[in-house]
Amino acid sequence: MKHSICMVSDFFYPNIGGVESHIYQLSQCLIERGHKVIVVTHAYGNRSGIRYLSNGLKVYYLPIQPVYNQCILPTVFTTLPVIRNILLRESINIVHGHSAFSALALESIFHARTMNVKAVFTDHSLFGFADLSSILTNKILKFSLAGVNHAICVSHTCKENTVLRGKIDPSDVSVIPNAVDASVFTPTSTERDPEKITIVVMSRLVYRKGADLLASVIPEICSRHSDVQFIIGGDGPKRLAIEEVREHFQLHDRIRLLGTVGHSAVRQVLVRGDIFLNTSLTEAFCIAIVEAASCGLQVVSTSVGGIPEVLPPDMIQLAEPSATSLVESLDKAIAKRRNCQLLSPDGAHDWVRKTYTWQNVAERTEIVYDKISAATEVTLADRLHRYNKCGLVAGKIFIFIAALNYLLLILCNWISPVQNIDLAVDCRKLRRLKTSGVNLEQSS
Amino acid sequence: MAMSCDRSRKKWQKVLYKDQGVSDNYVDESFLEEMKKNLHIRTYEFWAVVRESNVVMQQIYSVWIFVAVYFHMRNFVLTPQFLFEMSSAVTIVGYIVNFVILHENALTKSRWKDGKTMGIFLILGFSLSPILMTLTKTISTDTIYAMTFFMLLANLLFHDYGTDAAIVSQAFSLNAAIFASICLASRLPTTWHAFSLVTFAFELFALWPILRRNLKIHFPRLQIILSFLLGSVVTVSVATVSSVAVVVFLLLHLFITILCPAWLIRLQPYKNNIHGPWDEAVIKQ
Repeated sequence: MKHSICMVSDFFYPNIGGVESHIYQLSQCLIERGHKVIVVTHAYGNRSGIRYLSNGLKVYYLPIQPVYNQCILPTVFTTLPVIRNILLRESINIVHGHSAFSALALESIFHARTMNVKAVFTDHSLFGFADLSSILTNKILKFSLAGVNHAICVSHTCKENTVLRGKIDPSDVSVIPNAVDASVFTPTSTERDPEKITIVVMSRLVYRKGADLLASVIPEICSRHSDVQFIIGGDGPKRLAIEEVREHFQLHDRIRLLGTVGHSAVRQVLVRGDIFLNTSLTEAFCIAIVEAASCGLQVVSTSVGGIPEVLPPDMIQLAEPSATSLVESLDKAIAKRRNCQLLSPDGAHDWVRKTYTWQNVAERTEIVYDKISAATEVTLADRLHRYNKCGLVAGKIFIFIAALNYLLLILCNWISPVQNIDLAVDCRKLRRLKTSGVNLEQSS
Repeated sequence: MAMSCDRSRKKWQKVLYKDQGVSDNYVDESFLEEMKKNLHIRTYEFWAVVRESNVVMQQIYSVWIFVAVYFHMRNFVLTPQFLFEMSSAVTIVGYIVNFVILHENALTKSRWKDGKTMGIFLILGFSLSPILMTLTKTISTDTIYAMTFFMLLANLLFHDYGTDAAIVSQAFSLNAAIFASICLASRLPTTWHAFSLVTFAFELFALWPILRRNLKIHFPRLQIILSFLLGSVVTVSVATVSSVAVVVFLLLHLFITILCPAWLIRLQPYKNNIHGPWDEAVIKQ
């Protein structure tokens, strides 16, 4: 069964990142499988309106500017008219929101459910429970997930976290991992320095990514092995700490700080290394280590979040989040490298190419879409009842918001009736005509 | 048939790179196995909490003493000379006690610095007192009292009681108290009154907490005796101003010292701290 899917998120091209590329790649693979996919996001500077990306992927850059952390201001009701319009014009039957940080995604899912359109939510990150911002965000997530038909998480740990935060039934959450475009991340042996063992680090230099651990690991490893050098890509507030370490231990010729590395240049940096070091303190999936494995590097990483689930033991050395444990694991990896006991770069690349593919992700996502399309529709009363379960006081507030949204929808239906909305042209028909060799100019 | 039975008996692994023959929303029995609840919970003992609550009470005593002193000066029971002399004497005694407790070397330099600061403050305070008098002359007394109330409340809220919370801001707390003292000082008849009240406020809200903290570190057992002493001083001084106020004070005292600890202990079983592999890792040394 072919669906009309609307991907919604605050994070999309021209921004580069994990969520952005996830949405883009998944959309492309779903289009290949014959579905109709559009993307809805906010305006990026002057980029506002409708743009087309490759394969006819239509992107709606809504004329709303981001206010904080690249997200729009959450107003709940003001996005209803425009989202309703888009969903009706494009005859969407599934709305797929990405990232719990995205206000636009959560609001669009809410409006979709008010309009009885099926909704799916993909969670890309792990959250805590104890501090004030987490408590508020989790309440909002409970609200969003109370209405959603199905949720997707990128790892099993992420699923456990989402189930606890959002208080949803675990069988309503599917685990579909991220993937990499293995054709971009190919290994090559010519870039590597054969005399030395190169350790590559590619992450933002912030506390969360374990920059402090990195600063304590580097001098220890450099003193133990004289032929090891570090290449560190990425920038951030902790860069100073790394530079201080470099100064203090006089390691100028053994540590190279590259600063921010553009996305297209990442592969060039990765192929110069033998070992990839990841010191994050929390990660839901960690695409970086899969990219590194695809380029043929051996991975050494802290065992946090979903990282232990991603790569098999012969491709990754896991360590506790402490300097001594990381140094031990790095020693093991370096020893393996010296004795040529590591998996060959081509072997690693082939493994990644076969295991983590976007086609696989699209296939499994399609199963989710089919399942929710076949499910019976939930009545308004049932929905309000589910919102009520979110909390003693919060439940009543959520019911009020949901009911008000429903009334606003009726108002919108009265002001601009469904019959008067023009349906957009389906790009799939144009593609089919094109591929079947019909001359479009003659047919019009 | 036998093959499929074998596969289902194989233990499900929490990995993403293997196709384990189950659907994506499969929930294994090991789901949430690594979740731990209430790992670092502290059990509280009632009288220990009551004893610790006196930290809050001592700051409240300061506030009540200050307001009582103001009212005494208003009613001409307390003369500014007496207040200034008494508070200066107590401050000097307190300074010596602090000096002795901290076993500081008799570095004449820091004594000289402290002396200089005190001199500058006294001169500045005395020369600015006439301005303080007329600063809030046009504002009605009710507004002044309301502002004083909120400022002293802010002082209590933001005071550093020894915890690491985000709400603590010693600077804000002190500023609020001094602002309250300036509000009240403007209602007094002469410059001398205003100067003595503001000086007293500085000594009470800026210097006294420092001595209190050092006393607590070095002589923890003295805290109860200190609280009793201060409590009686407050009760007596407030009683002579207004009997309603003293009843309110005693009720407040009861609430904070007895009721709040009991409430805290009653709520402890409802604690629900969740820990698991999704937590941000704490770097182990």
